Amino acid sequence: MNNYRFEDLYEGLSVSFEETVTEEKMDAFRQISGDVNPLHMQKEFAQSQGYKDKVVYGMLTSSLLSRLVGVHLPGKYCLLQGMELKYLNPVYAGDTLTVKGTVYELHPSVKMAVIKALITNQDGVKVVRGKINVGFLRYEDE
Amino acid sequence: MTREYVYQQMNRIFRNVFDDESIELHDETNAEDIEDWDSLEQINLIVAIENEFEMMFDMAEVAELANVGEMVDLILKKDSNE
Repeated sequence: MNNYRFEDLYEGLSVSFEETVTEEKMDAFRQISGDVNPLHMQKEFAQSQGYKDKVVYGMLTSSLLSRLVGVHLPGKYCLLQGMELKYLNPVYAGDTLTVKGTVYELHPSVKMAVIKALITNQDGVKVVRGKINVGFLRYEDE
Repeated sequence: MTREYVYQQMNRIFRNVFDDESIELHDETNAEDIEDWDSLEQINLIVAIENEFEMMFDMAEVAELANVGEMVDLILKKDSNE
């Protein structure tokens, strides 16, 4: 886990990681969210809507952004304050996603960083992009 | 930059942040006048104001602000120093 402090960040600093979406994670998300929409459960229904398979929950994909800021950028001292996202393309079980965060804005007056987030699939297709506002917890040595 | 212009932009920013078109700012407006104005929305306001007016404040300047009028004064002061 990273433990960047606000003072350590600079515009352009970026981190990324990969994660593969599985059927098991789809099941777990369905249990957590209670979202039983057939787009996410029935291949035939999804195909009738023009998709090649069941579509992964958008918020399952974007849940990786919790890890992005909570573990990687800034990591330990992150206090998630808000995010704006766009879901650009469908994700399917078996896709391997690359999650990238880049420091976009720094606001020292309120100790808040804006992180630009981008999630792409194994073909380089953008599936989610957005901006995340993060504040900072108290540092342990303060 | 005129005080009227700053107020015009500030009204737009406040209405956008609080999703409330009825907000009408005055010099004396403070956090007690707007129900949702808490510490998180204070951060969102400051960030939106910094971006709108393309200026950065420091922590001490922000901490000293008592009301909207003082914020407008600070914006005009910084603008005249540029």
